[in-house]
Amino acid sequence: MSTSRPIRVLVTKIGLDGHDRGSRIVAAYLRDAGMEVIYTPPWQTIAGVVKLALEEDVEVIGISSLATDHLIVPKMMAALREARLDHVGVIVGGIVPEEEKPALIAAGVSQVFGPGAGREDIVDCVASLGLQARERRADEFSEASR
Amino acid sequence: MSQSAVQLPLPGFEQAQGEWRAAYGRQMAGEAPVRNRSGIEVQPLYTPRDWASERYLDDLNFPGQFPYTRGIYPSMHRGRTWTQRQLIGLGTPEDYNQRVRRIIELGASAISLLPCCSGFRGIDCDEVDTVLLGTCGTVINTTDHMDQALDGVPIGEISTAMNDPSPFTLLAFTLGVARRRGVDWSRVTGTSNQSDYISHFIANHQFYRLSLPGSRRVLLDHIEFCRRYVPNWNPVSVVGQHMQQAGATPAETMGFTFSTAIQYAEDCVRRGLDIDDVLRRFTFFFDISISFFEEIAKFRAGRRIWARIARDRLGARDPACWRFKFHGQTSGVDLTQQQPLNNIARVSVQAMAGILSGLQSLHTDAYDEAIATPSEETARVAVATQNILREEARLCDVIDPLGGSYYIERLTDQMEAEIEAVIAKVDAAGGMYKAAEAGLVQTMIGDSALAFQEQVETGVRKVVGVNCYRIDEDPTVPPADRPDLAAMERHVERFKAFKRERSQVAVTRALDDLARAANSEGENTFGKVIDAAEAGVTHGEIVACLRRELGFGHPLVIA
Amino acid sequence: MGIDTAVSSLAARLHGGERRAIARAITLMEDGGPAAIALQAAIQPWTGRALTIGFTGPPGAGKSTLVDAFVAELRKAGRTVAVAAVDPSSPLSGGAVLGDRIRMGRHTEDEGVFIRSVAARGHLGGLSETTHHIVDVFDAAGWDVVVIETVGAGQSEVEIVDVADIRIVVNAPGLGDDVQAIKAGILEIASILVVNKADLPLASRTVRQLRAMLSLRPQEQQAVPVLETVASSGQGVAALLAAVDAIAPDDPAQHSERRRARLRRLVAEAAAAIVKRSVAERQDDAFEAMLDRVAAGETSIVCAAALSLDASHLDRDPEAARMTDRSDAATDHAA
Repeated sequence: MSTSRPIRVLVTKIGLDGHDRGSRIVAAYLRDAGMEVIYTPPWQTIAGVVKLALEEDVEVIGISSLATDHLIVPKMMAALREARLDHVGVIVGGIVPEEEKPALIAAGVSQVFGPGAGREDIVDCVASLGLQARERRADEFSEASR
Repeated sequence: MSQSAVQLPLPGFEQAQGEWRAAYGRQMAGEAPVRNRSGIEVQPLYTPRDWASERYLDDLNFPGQFPYTRGIYPSMHRGRTWTQRQLIGLGTPEDYNQRVRRIIELGASAISLLPCCSGFRGIDCDEVDTVLLGTCGTVINTTDHMDQALDGVPIGEISTAMNDPSPFTLLAFTLGVARRRGVDWSRVTGTSNQSDYISHFIANHQFYRLSLPGSRRVLLDHIEFCRRYVPNWNPVSVVGQHMQQAGATPAETMGFTFSTAIQYAEDCVRRGLDIDDVLRRFTFFFDISISFFEEIAKFRAGRRIWARIARDRLGARDPACWRFKFHGQTSGVDLTQQQPLNNIARVSVQAMAGILSGLQSLHTDAYDEAIATPSEETARVAVATQNILREEARLCDVIDPLGGSYYIERLTDQMEAEIEAVIAKVDAAGGMYKAAEAGLVQTMIGDSALAFQEQVETGVRKVVGVNCYRIDEDPTVPPADRPDLAAMERHVERFKAFKRERSQVAVTRALDDLARAANSEGENTFGKVIDAAEAGVTHGEIVACLRRELGFGHPLVIA
Repeated sequence: MGIDTAVSSLAARLHGGERRAIARAITLMEDGGPAAIALQAAIQPWTGRALTIGFTGPPGAGKSTLVDAFVAELRKAGRTVAVAAVDPSSPLSGGAVLGDRIRMGRHTEDEGVFIRSVAARGHLGGLSETTHHIVDVFDAAGWDVVVIETVGAGQSEVEIVDVADIRIVVNAPGLGDDVQAIKAGILEIASILVVNKADLPLASRTVRQLRAMLSLRPQEQQAVPVLETVASSGQGVAALLAAVDAIAPDDPAQHSERRRARLRRLVAEAAAAIVKRSVAERQDDAFEAMLDRVAAGETSIVCAAALSLDASHLDRDPEAARMTDRSDAATDHAA
């Protein structure tokens, strides 16, 4: 039973933009793939995302950025590391100019999905990041809970 | 309507049609039904039997004649072409000023102003990570900022589309600038084109600033104030665009938009405003998708429905109120990140649909819209697209050139029925305000968005470069324009200094007045917003004050 | 480190109030297994201190918005609040979109608030199977108040009685056929009845109807307060908190009585699970023969169930005893 425990994912938006069609569709995809999605209003602060991720004990964070909010994702990654949440996988979806992707990857983002990204690609990526997060956490309970 | 009509006698029609059907059936055995985005089944062929031409005067009539199906003015684009209105906004007020002056030099008679996302959120530039400032709009927080942005711009002669949700601080700043320059407010023209708080609550949370009841009050104050003191300003733009962007079908979009317009009009009447005075200033704002014929039928049906709603349901007597005036923006949702140059073709088709349906004003998206905030170069291609369609393709030579097409007329009738069914559904829920508050509209839009995405995922709906005709590519588009970070930091520093140096007494008094007005039904909040702006109160402070008094609320997000 | 040491270290950290430990402990509880069982035992002594409040009621009554406003009111009074917000899981995929945070957004960054979204994971009854363990974690970690928001199916949510000291049943005007949305069963468990969205035109009628329904109930239930709130503006929420505090069990004995009833039920459930396993795994000839008799219609299922249990259980269950031929039972056990 515990091996098939649903992966917990935080789907959220940081910064200033409020367009949420994409994040809602992705949330529905992940739900239909058997995951538990914590869905929040847009405009989260970085401190808020850290607290959310910690309280909800998520394994993956999906950030939707349709304007320019991806520009503060590197700061968010640093804050997650500082809060010892580096086992959590992070993906970014939305509109990110090609020349600004490397900075996100360098900051620790696993994958950047653009418009037209396929459902399966997104679900597979989140699923594998979720399992990796479980392994990476590797605390004394990981044996027992798996 | 057309079904019940008398059919023209066409000897031999039935026999010829039967033969064609048989021949078609042999070649196309097992063909799946084809449906447009609104779910209407599209036939392989339309004939005179699909259109009751004897209802011409009731359903179509001539341009400028009720119910305006063929156009709201007698000469339409042949007389006066549509307004080319590109949304602009980037960086500091100085950056905006440079760009807008260049546009005016090139002959533009209309401009637009898109504020920075921080402004949409109702906060000032000193409350945000500087790296985000000015990346998708201009940072304007005070009357001084607006003065810089409009430096050298003749505000009494140029029409401005202001992307300015309640409480309409950008217009307040503009009116302050007009007063400084001695320009009478009656000469200030343009549109508050983000006044539609219901659409923000439903589909564009970006612009959602005050609680639903608070927004309702503030919009009515804004309309009443503008009708009295800024007579050539359009205080209401009902925005279907947000809903279609969020996934509503074209028919749903038009239905929800009209339901919203009905709600605002009835609210105005309840406030004691004169329907004829108010309704003539209503404008509409729509998305134009690439579903070419469907979009044309959507707008033609829209004109007809609005004319009847305005005259028969809302009781307006002035024909100016019956005319459905709309701005169209080519849909960014149809654009792809893959093979970005393909988007030029898409935008051309979308723009054609808009022009052929007789719009009043048009924004064409830049081809990198799906990838980035458009650069100056890509924005130029977008404008050129409009010029090519007008000057080279000569789309303006004939008014409503697709009118009389069996298909277009049939589809217009069908879209009309779909749209009216949506309006009826909202009516049954107690009107748009209640339907939005209860989440009914959001659920419908969410379902449509998911259904559309499923069709793309399963390949039922083809998107070139996404689910078919894919290529290995290294998409090359001009890099996104990002504002100069150092200039933005200076802008923020100057803003902080301004806040330190202004008269704190005047600021406190103005905010107290605004708070008092918000709590007293008889007072007009917009008048107090203008006074506050003149006293040096900032955008963020004005919004914060009204949020305190009228509630912040939360947009309802149906997951 | 062995599981026992790990559990006691985690228990100590969460007892010290460490957020990360609380979050981890909740996940462990949801996972079940030996670590969860050990942790449940380890934190038991620290529980029983928090005031636990359940919010239940039909969908659309505005539970999340009311919880949001209620949390704000508690925070104004300087009390710390933990929220377990339960949402349904999809029966098809097992996944869930947990959206309660949408309406509780303003508390995200408040260190005095801990919100955990919980998926029901197929458990019926308005809570998840492990909700009571999650409540214990918050309790042991020293939160002043623990709020539980149920799925809101509108019916059969009586489980909340076991978990919450105070049950607030939320209704709103215009939900289907007036107060029919509140079924009798749920009325019985209410400590407080709330008519939310009281600014709507039909609110006073809903209040009247609820009072009329209460007047038909036994004497002790007639005192249940019926309050009006407008959660979206915060109106009436201070009065709701005052009503909660007025009936909050300040007598520890009362507190522990309910906890004892809950422990009793938990032990019974655990026992049932053990018995179920042991019966399900039986493969002896006598049992198989009995299954044949059930299949042939000679013995009822209830009768067969009673026969497969120890006689001592039958002594305590007159219902089962009545349906069973005692001599038959004796034979079975002898075999």
